[in-house]
Amino acid sequence: GLLLVLPGLATIPSTSVEGQFPLATFPTSAGERHTAVIVFLSTFTVDILLKAVGDTPIMKTKKWAVERTRTIQGLIDFIRKFLKLMASEQLFIYVNQSFAPSPDQEVGTLYECFGSDGKLVLHYCKSQAWG
Amino acid sequence: MEQDEFFGEKAFQHCCAEFIKHSQLIGDGWEWRTSKDCSDGYMCKTHLQIKNGTVAPRPRPSAHEQTGLPMEEAAELALDDAEAAEVPAVSPVIRYEYHVLYSCSFQVPVLYFRASFLDGRPLTLEDIWEGVHECYRTRLLQGPWDTITQQEHPILGQPFFVLHPCKTNEFMTPVLKNPQKINRNINYVTSWLSVVGPVVGLNLPLSYAQAASQDM
Repeated sequence: GLLLVLPGLATIPSTSVEGQFPLATFPTSAGERHTAVIVFLSTFTVDILLKAVGDTPIMKTKKWAVERTRTIQGLIDFIRKFLKLMASEQLFIYVNQSFAPSPDQEVGTLYECFGSDGKLVLHYCKSQAWG
Repeated sequence: MEQDEFFGEKAFQHCCAEFIKHSQLIGDGWEWRTSKDCSDGYMCKTHLQIKNGTVAPRPRPSAHEQTGLPMEEAAELALDDAEAAEVPAVSPVIRYEYHVLYSCSFQVPVLYFRASFLDGRPLTLEDIWEGVHECYRTRLLQGPWDTITQQEHPILGQPFFVLHPCKTNEFMTPVLKNPQKINRNINYVTSWLSVVGPVVGLNLPLSYAQAASQDM
């Protein structure tokens, strides 16, 4: 069996298993062996707080741990799916409440530049901008 | 600067001046140009880009330089190398020009752009589409003629592609009117360009975001 110990934050599912290290194996009374895998999220992820702007629906979960290499485009795709936006609706993400980083910008870099109090605040806004 | 709905030409020019100040600081290449006849002005920037890529590769040193052999021997070596190795196709270098003008009718900035190969041949609208970032492509392809059109540059009188400004207010207003934004100064041109630029291959360095919140 595998125990996964996480801090109290939701994690965006990732296909990679980076950041998972088996730390110890220990026998149980039933003779099985369990491996405790503690995911060092802080090394590989940044804490993000998502805030809705304008008429944009508010996400039920606002706090996310996102791996540093996730791009803005990846985050936009994730939020779009989460909010079930239509194909005609565009979603923009802003740092500093006013600046849209380019789609290939990595979340880790944005955290270095704009993070404070251990998190990166991102505002998101949906629009029919080109429709 | 007051964040009211009316973004007049003076405000536009002020924002551009601040924008260009920062551009000069980081060597981003934006300039202000005025037309000879009137006080109209616009910002512009030119940059070179490999088609479907971003950075032009440095030319590799010749075999002569690499091996230190006399020229003739080096030339033979180079030929052997070329035959043995795959010779990659040369990716064309594209010259992009971006102009930011003020639209009096829409009272917003407008992005004009054009692109050509180094020999002067202009890119077609289809070529431009290929350069549009993946995440915008689906939406834009649904109605390209509504969003990117070809128009005459109001000051230069030459054909440029234009990202249509009719929806600009729609995505800028929530940003400007965000009630969570307390005493935060926004450079309209910086914010706007950060949103529309990537659609046509123009990405603003992050330092513009930090500059914008400090200025004004």
